[in-house]
Amino acid sequence: MTSISSRRLRKELSEIQTEGCPTGITLLNADNFETWYFSIEILGESLYQGEVFKLMFRFDSSYPISAPAVQFVVNQESTAPVHPHVYSNGHICASILGTEWSPVLSVSAVCVTLQSMLASCKSKERPVDNDRYVRYAPDNPKKTRFHYDDDTV
Amino acid sequence: MAQRRVPTISDLRIKLCYICREEERYDTPEDPPRAWTHPCKCTLVAHESCLLQWIQTSQQNRSRAPNALKCPQCSSVYELESDNPLILRILDAANKGLSTMGKIVTIASVTVVVVSLGTGMYILSTAYGAYALKEFLGAEMYDLLLTEDPTNWPWHCYLNLPLIPFALIISRLPFNSSVTPLVPLLLAWPTSTPPRTDERIVLNRWGVQEPIQREMFPLLPSWPPPPVLLGLFIYPSLRITYNRIFSQFSRWVLDTQPDATDTAHRMMLAFEDDDPFLRIRINANGERNAQRQPDGQGQQDRGAGVANNGANNNINGDGEAIAGDVAAAAENTIRVSGTSLGRLIGGALIIPRISSFMGSLLYRLSKYSPLLRRFLAVRPPLPPDVRPSLVGTWIDEEMWRQLSPVKRLSVAGLMGLSVAWRGTPVWAECDPVWWRNSLGLGLFTVAKDCLHLLHLWLAKRELQSRRVKNKSFEGVDVRELDLIDPVTHTGH
Repeated sequence: MTSISSRRLRKELSEIQTEGCPTGITLLNADNFETWYFSIEILGESLYQGEVFKLMFRFDSSYPISAPAVQFVVNQESTAPVHPHVYSNGHICASILGTEWSPVLSVSAVCVTLQSMLASCKSKERPVDNDRYVRYAPDNPKKTRFHYDDDTV
Repeated sequence: MAQRRVPTISDLRIKLCYICREEERYDTPEDPPRAWTHPCKCTLVAHESCLLQWIQTSQQNRSRAPNALKCPQCSSVYELESDNPLILRILDAANKGLSTMGKIVTIASVTVVVVSLGTGMYILSTAYGAYALKEFLGAEMYDLLLTEDPTNWPWHCYLNLPLIPFALIISRLPFNSSVTPLVPLLLAWPTSTPPRTDERIVLNRWGVQEPIQREMFPLLPSWPPPPVLLGLFIYPSLRITYNRIFSQFSRWVLDTQPDATDTAHRMMLAFEDDDPFLRIRINANGERNAQRQPDGQGQQDRGAGVANNGANNNINGDGEAIAGDVAAAAENTIRVSGTSLGRLIGGALIIPRISSFMGSLLYRLSKYSPLLRRFLAVRPPLPPDVRPSLVGTWIDEEMWRQLSPVKRLSVAGLMGLSVAWRGTPVWAECDPVWWRNSLGLGLFTVAKDCLHLLHLWLAKRELQSRRVKNKSFEGVDVRELDLIDPVTHTGH
């Protein structure tokens, strides 16, 4: 018997494959129902002109009741965008990935939200507590209790 | 006219669960059937089981719980129906009540801890204040003004006494504080009503005419100086004058230039350093000293100087920092004394004891010198049955009642002024222990400052007289040395 999570992910995947991703977003890899990769870039006027980032989604068996773990991939080829809500290890402080998550959201909706978060960025800087956070951050950003103090993104 | 029926969930052609994204067409129902629900005001529909699971999961998470019963799209609140028997509701309410109680208990216990610490501090300070006052005023006056029984104390004791230790400590902080240690002891008490008399002091003391006044001040009408005058004017001005003179004197003794740095800078220095008491700085450019003792060997490096910034010396003397050529010598500070905080507080709290000790010393000396006795205004202790009883009520209750309101006002004003100036009759008629204690404290301060100066002077002399002891090359192989005349030393 397939779980709710994999059935829903299969549906989301087939939607992406038939209707395509939102503009600026490309599915790189969705071989299983645990980890998906997307590339994301900001089209039009923004501080991130010409930059391409890699997003990683990790799902657990209770998706979509629980939110996916979403972060930017940081390795030799790709980095995390410099943004007040993105830590240098790729973790993202966004309420829709935590307390504001709802099953009505989907993978592509999360992608679009993050895209607009980057597009509306006014100044490229790291979060103020970046160094302290990165030093002690858990591997999975869902284990972090972010304090969402800025609702503008 | 057929009334239009409002459609419900079962009228939809395709139902799409917003949680699991499964859909169901009306013509191909699922088997086994699953219940659908439309819980809000928008178009979102869901399997009832999916939605209940979501609500349950969300409610378990404290930060998500507020959103658990809200539609993510239209924010309308889901309404739940359930078997919620009275007993469950009571238990829920009780649980909630208990958590609230728990919070209250937490706050209360923190408050209790803080309050009891504070109260402990307060009681300790008050007890110390009473002790200090007894030391300073002498047992006789203390007994008249305060007595050993706290229930007799006038209300202002409970403000005054606990402030005494803090005032003493502040007075010793290393800046030009205007708080002298005597102010808290001298200012409040002269106007205090003795607890043993019930009659109001204003009624008793006033209307006193000249001859009577002379009788009440048998020695000199205004000797010793009124305590308020002493505390407010004489003491501070004396202190400033003394500081000036003493700092000039120490500059002369230590042979240093006046310190150029401003007070603020010095204050900062004194605070940055954890030991604000006694510092000696080696003068890095000891040219002055080099010129004074031109005896030849490597002078420039050895010249040592000690500078004094005694200008911010305060009455109790060692709150000062000895700062020399600040810029040049900052790294070369030599610590001479021990650690600071304990010394500061201990030194402050022992002031009343010292003052009392010095006062009794003066009293003993006065037995051999009538002049000193007169100066100290020593009076015999009051006979046990006599209170400085504010008798001679020149205005008694009856006369007071006969006075017109205007006259009453002026009399009361004059009375107030007099009490403020002279102090109550207790101060005028008792043996003025406080006066010789103040003098004693002053003498002690001078003596201590002189000792401090002697210490500095000796330390400076030691620095200036330092030489490195010269030794022969005994034990060194002479062949390794490039000697002027090797022959003389080879035949060792």
